[in-house]
Amino acid sequence: MRLIKVIPTVFKQIMRSPIRSFLTLGGIAVAMFLFVMVESMRTGVREATQATANETTLVVYRKNRYCPFTSRLPQYYGDRIERIEGVASVVPMQIHVSNCGASLDVVTFRGVPKDDITSAMAKDGTISDGSIETWKQRGDGAIVGSSLAKRRGIKVGDRFKAAGITIFVAAIQETSKAQDRNVALVHLPFLQEAARKGGTGTIVTQFNVQINDSTKLQEIASSIDETFAHDEHPTSTFSETAFVGRAARDIVHLADVAGILAWGALAAVFALVANAVVLAMRDRVRDHAVLQTLGYTGWLIGWMVLLEGASIALIGGLVGGIAAFIAVRIGQFTMTMEGVNIEMASGPSAVIAGIVIAFALGLFAAVIPALRLARTDIATCFRAV
Amino acid sequence: MKRLPFEYATRNLGRSRTRLVLTVCSSGLVVLLIMIAGGFMVGMQATLDVSGSKNNIILLGAGSVESVERSEIGMDTAGIVAASIDGLRTRAGIEGVSPEIHIQMPIEVDGEDRLVLIRGVRPEAYLVHDQVRIIKGHSPRNGRNELLIGKLTARTIGYDTPEETIGKTIILDDDEYTITGVLAASGGIIEGEMWTSLTDLQITTQRDTLSCVVVALDTAKPSDLDAFAASRIDLELAAVSENEYFSMLSQFYKPIEMMVVMTCVMIAIGGLLGGFNATYASFASRVREVGSLQTLGYQRSAIAISLVQESILTASVGAIMASTIAMVLLDGFTVRFSMGTFTLAMDAGIVALGIGSGLLLGVIGAIAPAIRCLQLPIPEALRAAE
Repeated sequence: MRLIKVIPTVFKQIMRSPIRSFLTLGGIAVAMFLFVMVESMRTGVREATQATANETTLVVYRKNRYCPFTSRLPQYYGDRIERIEGVASVVPMQIHVSNCGASLDVVTFRGVPKDDITSAMAKDGTISDGSIETWKQRGDGAIVGSSLAKRRGIKVGDRFKAAGITIFVAAIQETSKAQDRNVALVHLPFLQEAARKGGTGTIVTQFNVQINDSTKLQEIASSIDETFAHDEHPTSTFSETAFVGRAARDIVHLADVAGILAWGALAAVFALVANAVVLAMRDRVRDHAVLQTLGYTGWLIGWMVLLEGASIALIGGLVGGIAAFIAVRIGQFTMTMEGVNIEMASGPSAVIAGIVIAFALGLFAAVIPALRLARTDIATCFRAV
Repeated sequence: MKRLPFEYATRNLGRSRTRLVLTVCSSGLVVLLIMIAGGFMVGMQATLDVSGSKNNIILLGAGSVESVERSEIGMDTAGIVAASIDGLRTRAGIEGVSPEIHIQMPIEVDGEDRLVLIRGVRPEAYLVHDQVRIIKGHSPRNGRNELLIGKLTARTIGYDTPEETIGKTIILDDDEYTITGVLAASGGIIEGEMWTSLTDLQITTQRDTLSCVVVALDTAKPSDLDAFAASRIDLELAAVSENEYFSMLSQFYKPIEMMVVMTCVMIAIGGLLGGFNATYASFASRVREVGSLQTLGYQRSAIAISLVQESILTASVGAIMASTIAMVLLDGFTVRFSMGTFTLAMDAGIVALGIGSGLLLGVIGAIAPAIRCLQLPIPEALRAAE
């Protein structure tokens, strides 16, 4: 019971030095903000690039090409791919981006045949505004992903120009898949003619292939590549996640480097709490001696120190974590490279993990000062004054 | 005003070695991160700044002005431009009109896959890009699958000395190429590329279009090229000066630059707050000492100056350590990103920024704790730690 009763005292101790507590809390909050932002980015990259057991989508690309501007495959390859055993459907796609490099706010156009529009949309994709019928009726119509529409402030009925292409917004697509939330689906012939000098006629960037059996993913990928191995345009076929990981390698690399920063942020939290607790203990030697004369045992005082460390870390973690969560939700940051989009994960998992880790680090950082204090007798405390 | 001796501040530093180390480390970390962020921005900007020339005009495909890699124009464009525009740079009867292909491709070197920007050029390219020099070896010859390697590209593929790459074989789209020389371009973006013969690259990539034509102006004006692009609708061209193009590229990468800077700033704020905390604790425990100094006749301003001196000394040590680390370990550090390769530049300006930040940290870090120490009346200060 006494363990709980001391909680108000612990908070009073924290409030006794408001400036120093504010400095420590501020430092922890900043470190946790950074940690949660980095973790959200890493989670986004992981979700986009990690293979799942039930994956059934393959992407057929030109061999030895990364950039959508350089991958050119004849559209008639689609019929030959469709004849391969295990292939359920094939959607030829032309990809057009404002720039192949990695950056934020890149606009990606996907040209798809009119009849394949439902296959080209995300599996869980729904039209939140406008209609597919309007898209079908207009040659320059586009179904714009909700994130892209929000980022660029466009709505149904608007005309929108990017990467040298002007489109009419026919519908807005809502989906949980970052890849589809950040693209504009347009008619394939329109993009083929608008994107390249003199039009590209029957040339596409890639084929998205749906297969029936996820266990045969690699087998079918190999069959496709073997079919075109001796053609003028040999292919490389990947699962969708592997394709994203390969195309967005700079972003994956950036996420790996950012991982080091996340560890650095955690080390900073540990150092800040340990520093704050050690400094506070030095200044409060006399207080501890008084507490011991009032009947507080060494272990109870140690417990109070532990609570102090954990509370500072928890409050700092909550402030920084929630601020990062709000920033990610509002910002909806998407990084694009070579036409693939990776969105920072806006779920609560990174925040929860960050707050729990901050709390644990706070406890851990206070353990040694707490133990030292618990073992110090009254006389030593008074002598230290 | 009677001042406290400077030795008073220096000797105080050794009173708590742990605190001293902590404060030095945190100020050093803050300064180092400020220098990294500055070096990143300066390095990236410098690469883009020296890459363009106001006298060079790029003719790209209409609608592709944001990215030369996206652009496609006809093979005959270079000839038509040379025949249509007067006043282009000419040397020994060769006109400064360079047809080029820019393509990002994976290359296999020493068994490893790397992504590099390959530029297919004709000899006219050396006339147009006059900052380019072949520092070793020779220019690629037609039909021999030869390559020039940029100085920075050599470093990104694992060679500290670019000259070591000469004679190495790389695989480009199943074709074998040999590196025959090293090129330098005054630190421009070209140093992160590989150059080969235009026709060889066309054959390897099965491409029958150009990415762009770069034109070097002499007496001709940029508006002449604009008028040419506007009048020859059939060629579907857009004219943009090299400076303007690289400035647009710089804008495109601005969010990434800002992300790096913001990250460094956030870590720096964390370090800064930790350092302030230590300084605060260090000064706060000396309230009685400050009271004693006042009874000895030292004015508050004299004591404040001494405390600031102490803080500046600590921060300066951190700043000097950070500057040394930055100059020795990070200057010239190669960063490869989508835009190409650039190096962190720890030049005199960045070192001045680092040292200046360190001194500023020392002053700012001492102000609040010093005010707290000095605001108490003398009797209260003398009683404070009793």
